[in-house]
Amino acid sequence: MNVMNTANKFRFEIVVFVLVFGALGMTARAQQFVSKAPTAADWAALAKLPDFNGVWERAGVGGGGNAAFGTAAPAAPRGNQPPAGNRGAAPQRGGRGDGAAAATAGGQGGAPSFTPQYEAMRAAADRAPQPEDNSTANCLPPGMPGIMTQPYPMEFLMTPGKVTIIIEAYTQVRHIYTDGRPLPEDPDPKFFGASIGRWEGDTLVAETVGFNDHVQLARGVPHSDKMKIVERFKLTDPDTMSIETTITDPGVLTAPYTTTGTLRRHRNWTISEYICEENNRNYVDQTGKAGINLTVPGAPKKD
Amino acid sequence: MKLSFLLLLLTASLIAAAALPAAAHHSFAAFDITSQKMVTGTVRQVDWTNPHIWLWIDVPNDKGGSDTYGFEGMSPNFLARRGWTRTTLKTGDKITVSYRPMKDGSNGGMFMTGQMTNGKVLSMMGGSDTPER
Repeated sequence: MNVMNTANKFRFEIVVFVLVFGALGMTARAQQFVSKAPTAADWAALAKLPDFNGVWERAGVGGGGNAAFGTAAPAAPRGNQPPAGNRGAAPQRGGRGDGAAAATAGGQGGAPSFTPQYEAMRAAADRAPQPEDNSTANCLPPGMPGIMTQPYPMEFLMTPGKVTIIIEAYTQVRHIYTDGRPLPEDPDPKFFGASIGRWEGDTLVAETVGFNDHVQLARGVPHSDKMKIVERFKLTDPDTMSIETTITDPGVLTAPYTTTGTLRRHRNWTISEYICEENNRNYVDQTGKAGINLTVPGAPKKD
Repeated sequence: MKLSFLLLLLTASLIAAAALPAAAHHSFAAFDITSQKMVTGTVRQVDWTNPHIWLWIDVPNDKGGSDTYGFEGMSPNFLARRGWTRTTLKTGDKITVSYRPMKDGSNGGMFMTGQMTNGKVLSMMGGSDTPER
């Protein structure tokens, strides 16, 4: 009994310790922005903005009953995928390993220009043995901005104070706060970072900071904690949206790196689920070796 | 029948010339994308699953039995928007699959096109040859 009491007392002390320091932590974060309940006026103001609501897919994904059977495939087999080893984000079109980048949906663009130190890293990664795949093969999602260029649709939802982007690929969500809050000063690193947005006329301007190490500017090239992405979303006709994506990273990039892309709205589509772990037979190991698990489902059949 | 076969070859070469289907989530490292093979068998199982569908077919071997081949396709999300359903291919269907073989020689690879006994050609990109459902 005495032993139990001692143990319980010790546990109690731990609980007190956690509560006290937890409360201190809360105080330190007291500046967190608090969303206010939307009013009828907020909803009315929303109705005056360009309507981004609905399901969009980047132009050029291909297929879909196109009479030009067999010719509608994307220009690159791994179009807009992050390059190998660039698991999160890096804007890439033209397949793994070529280091050229284009950030956005259907975007075209040359390679970003790096400062000498980072250019050396890029060149070294180019010379090194190429990994056969990146960790999306293991079901980690691409981060920003690669997640915006997947060959899957995205649903935009506009509510007072926020634009939400539901991304079918990897079942991901981006939250762009338009309620006037500032960007976090010291954000935790994330695949998608932290986003705020504002309206400049008919254009939604989203700013995003706070990317994790999965986000790379090119294969083998890390970013700094100053990396920022600015996206400008604008309707160019009722069912077409252009996205201009500009990446800045002082000390890493010699100049802002801008690409543009196009999304098309599909009024008759809904977003589906994409649980990558449902039946993922692909993998890449630590050495960059990729493979496929071809184990026949169910009991092995031997004749 | 001969015409269908030519059509299949033509279709396959068009696809090869144009591009490989966007795989979205992994590279083609495991496949030999410079070659294409064909095999005929009976559908054993269709996995209508993310991130890719898998088609398993039993192919008669020269020992009087059969070997099971596995073929990776696009995702059900992608295909469902391009004319496919989870019952486009069913257990027991006869199919001739044109595919990019596994580099390691395992039985299977990346599904390119499939020809059914009625001459219909299934494509991972959908399109005019995908059966109306």
